[in-house]
Amino acid sequence: MRIARFVAAVWLYGFATVVAAQAEDPPVPAEAPAPQSPEAQAPDADTVDAAAIDAEIASQELSAEAQVRLDAARDAVVQIRGFFDGSESSAFHGSGFAVDDGRRIVTNYHVVAQAVLYPRQYRLEYLASDGRKGLLHVLAIDVRNDLAVVAADDLELPSLRLRSEIPAQGERAWSIGFPLNLGLTITEGVANGLVENSIEQRIHYTGAINGGMSGGPALDRRGRVYGVNVSVVTGRQLVGFVVPAKHIPALLARAKEPLDLSLSARQLRQRVTAQVLAYEAEVLEAQPGAAGIQKVRGYALPTQISRHLECTTVDERSPHVRMRVEAVSCSIPSRILVQPGVYVAGLAIQHRILQSLGLHPLHFERQVNRLAAGPRRAGASAHVAPFACRDALVSLDGFDARISTCVRQYRLFAGLYDFDVTVVGIDDVHQALVSRLALQGVAFESGRRTMERYLGALQWTP
Amino acid sequence: MVIEQVGPHGHTVLRLRLEGAGTECRVGRDLGCDIVVDDDHAAPHHALLTLLEDGRVSVRDLGTRNGTRVDGERVPADAGAIVEQGEVIVGRTRLRVRTRHTPIGPERVFRRDFVRRHRTPLAAAGVSACVAYGGFLQWLDAPSSMLRSVAIAGLVALGLIALWAGLWALTTKLNHGSWHFRIHVAIASIGAAFCAWSYWVAGLVAFATQWSVLVRIGVAVVGGTALLALYLHLREATHYGRRVTLALASAATLVIGAIAWIMAIGGEDGDVNRVNLGPEVRLGAGRVVPNRDIADYLAEVEELKRDAGRERQKSLLSVPLADAED
Repeated sequence: MRIARFVAAVWLYGFATVVAAQAEDPPVPAEAPAPQSPEAQAPDADTVDAAAIDAEIASQELSAEAQVRLDAARDAVVQIRGFFDGSESSAFHGSGFAVDDGRRIVTNYHVVAQAVLYPRQYRLEYLASDGRKGLLHVLAIDVRNDLAVVAADDLELPSLRLRSEIPAQGERAWSIGFPLNLGLTITEGVANGLVENSIEQRIHYTGAINGGMSGGPALDRRGRVYGVNVSVVTGRQLVGFVVPAKHIPALLARAKEPLDLSLSARQLRQRVTAQVLAYEAEVLEAQPGAAGIQKVRGYALPTQISRHLECTTVDERSPHVRMRVEAVSCSIPSRILVQPGVYVAGLAIQHRILQSLGLHPLHFERQVNRLAAGPRRAGASAHVAPFACRDALVSLDGFDARISTCVRQYRLFAGLYDFDVTVVGIDDVHQALVSRLALQGVAFESGRRTMERYLGALQWTP
Repeated sequence: MVIEQVGPHGHTVLRLRLEGAGTECRVGRDLGCDIVVDDDHAAPHHALLTLLEDGRVSVRDLGTRNGTRVDGERVPADAGAIVEQGEVIVGRTRLRVRTRHTPIGPERVFRRDFVRRHRTPLAAAGVSACVAYGGFLQWLDAPSSMLRSVAIAGLVALGLIALWAGLWALTTKLNHGSWHFRIHVAIASIGAAFCAWSYWVAGLVAFATQWSVLVRIGVAVVGGTALLALYLHLREATHYGRRVTLALASAATLVIGAIAWIMAIGGEDGDVNRVNLGPEVRLGAGRVVPNRDIADYLAEVEELKRDAGRERQKSLLSVPLADAED
């Protein structure tokens, strides 16, 4: 009998694989109903011991464990919904879970960001598993770690326990939330430890996380919350990120009274700005010692003016066949979100060295100008004001350059600026440096200091 | 007296000379009239013009519904009017009446203006300059098949000038009965070539001197040239006086300028992301402004904080924040 079961299982497995392979072409959209189960399609179901299959499925430890996790957490998890003005249909939604005494709910900052920044325009509500609804207030926010604590006056839920250690790589993990407004869902996967090269701590979770699950708990084997679902890499497979739970207690200690009742909209925005600036001061902090330098064709190019920069060097595809472009691109691997669609505290440098391979000087000049005008900045007029610019011919170390600096301020956050600095070497008609420093959402002073470090480190030696 | 029937474009269709006091000229649709007009708004017997003894002309309306007008004034049905010269309108037909009382100006000195005299070499020079600019722009891009791209650009420039000058020549033909094609080609091509090349040179000088006002001056020069060219075209092609021509040309220049400006500004979001790098870079040592050092430049960058703040204020004034408090 055991052997029969085994054979049946293997056969089913093989069949399922075939079905999956067929399903790939054409690709099935994520929202589409799942392909029919293999049993229903089995051509000769009579020959298979149906009871044996049921037993086999029931005995599979995975599903059972997910069920246990979900049942244990069900009452602690709520859906958090935002409404515009007096509207009855939600503007955005996410997930949250009760901790501590069960009166406070942890979620992501980005889930409640609109309500924090526009307190008179949006209201937050919870929807508990038993169907209860009510108004939520934000008690504390942590923009850097994308966390927030919210609470309702009369709501008390069973709470989940927190686990402050980071799960080991390969440890089984589950994520709970309300993906795409489809109802409470649990997904299963594997925690892959802390993300390398990330400034703020994020746990890499290999499992499905979708929009709407943000703020939901990420559970370990013992049902403890090891983190909060935060984001996912779209267009890739199952690369999700989770904020470690160890940041929650500090935030809970700060969560005393509703922010939107005690602070004005302006003060709330200032608070968000202050958190961004504290983070950004650390990110843009100079590399101790001399700035990291990469030498390319006589140019010394700053690559490590901040300690977190990561660089790539490529022989870029040139816009012209008789020209060569070598590009060194550096950027900070992560930015933080202050408002849906608005990421700040970003730093990117792109150095490009153009070499003429027998181009006429006027031709080369044209290509240099074209590359310098390069891709434009992204930004919506709802979020940022237009740029103000200054350009001049400046003597740098060993070469002369035309430097154009453009600065713009954020509409909502008066303390945050975008910088765009373009340096074009103008000495040589056969070789030129086109370098660009782009800062996103920084304080003016730290932007200027970063710019100073960057310009000071640029150098050319014959 | 001389009576001339004037066509819709101001040219004379028919001329009739009458002598001797008491001579009459009947105007109307009837074939028995002296001047037969093909005009639905004229009566079969519409007006009677009589040469008086003193050389003036009496105009009488023959009881028509639409009446007869002399220089815009309706002729009283019973009294008639006496004129020395002027325009008599019968229905919708214009008749120009001249008598020996009509003052005649002195002989004008014959002066052919510069453009008219040198129209062939000017047109040739202008066209070559335009074709050269089109080719030069293509050549600057260093295309892979140089000859073909440059030739195509030249042909496109040629075609555009031919089209533009052709339109004006057609207008001239309709108004004056002659084409004046070369004059229009000369005006159009010299104007276009001057604009194009001077704009290019303005960019060059703007970089060398770092005087960014030059770019604006370049734009002003282009606008001025366009105005002048339009004025000359209109003068050549129409009968309008100086003032009307100037007003028309200015209005056209403003409209074209406004359209170009709107297109350059682009969409709303494009405005926010517009990065102004300054005049195009010229490589090598072609500059007259000494370079600054980093400290000076950074001091200048400090001012950007104020400028950016001003841009934000402007932006907030035009579109306030959704949940505005400040």
